[in-house]
Amino acid sequence: MARFSIRFIYAEALIMNMTKGYNIKGDLIIINRELTELDIFLRDFLKVLKKYADYLVVSGFVSISTGRARGTEDIDVLVPKFERKRFSDLFDDLLKAGFWCYQGDTSEEAFSYVGKMDHIRFARKNEMFPNIEFIPVDHTKKAQFFEFNHPQKIKVKDFEFKIPPIEFEILYKEMILAGKKDIEDARHLRAFFSDILKQEKFREYEKIIKAELR
Amino acid sequence: MRPKTDLDYVELYAKKLKEDNSSFKQQKKLIESQLKSSSSLFRNMFGKADFKEKARKYIKSVSSG
Repeated sequence: MARFSIRFIYAEALIMNMTKGYNIKGDLIIINRELTELDIFLRDFLKVLKKYADYLVVSGFVSISTGRARGTEDIDVLVPKFERKRFSDLFDDLLKAGFWCYQGDTSEEAFSYVGKMDHIRFARKNEMFPNIEFIPVDHTKKAQFFEFNHPQKIKVKDFEFKIPPIEFEILYKEMILAGKKDIEDARHLRAFFSDILKQEKFREYEKIIKAELR
Repeated sequence: MRPKTDLDYVELYAKKLKEDNSSFKQQKKLIESQLKSSSSLFRNMFGKADFKEKARKYIKSVSSG
């Protein structure tokens, strides 16, 4: 009996010492982990971008930042439609901060893509990966525009950034992207956040995503 | 339940991580070792002098191939 009690107390102590994967503080999700080099790359990019525009980090990085055990080469960042001058200022500032753009060395070259709402990529000087996929969105891309305007705040150490609502991200991966990697990412998010996911949110977002599929 | 498929393993890992953050250490190692490998691969391929030009040629050849 005594041996059982000691084991029980020991097991309980172990449980008490375990730190959960995340905590919720108000409307903020706090992930309990150290920063990775991938986080630092994104943080440095967002530090410049935020001076010029709002943003939303979507897709694979959402799963990876919440613990999915896989690598990635790119981080998808939604941005609003840019007018030429503001984009030019952002572009020059990114170059100063040590980034290069796959699509060109001048803001004019890069704007020839962004102005048409095409994606461009930025990496650190003398690196190919990781890179930021810079994805302009406007009201014509309904699902992406919706998530852009309904951000969820998430924090790792001192790095706070914005992602889509978790339920939206899960459905987007399951219904729109739907590759093997995406289905696994969605399963990860469903299991990791099982305590906070809301069925009414799934119902609400499903309608928006189904409209995108039509 | 014993995991059988890749999805089962993904779910099991996520459930464990939800209750105990210690596996984040392994995940950090995985992410950073991939970044390190990819960085050294492309530095060896393209050098430093005209990295961008070579990288752009490579991207074109990969996307058109």
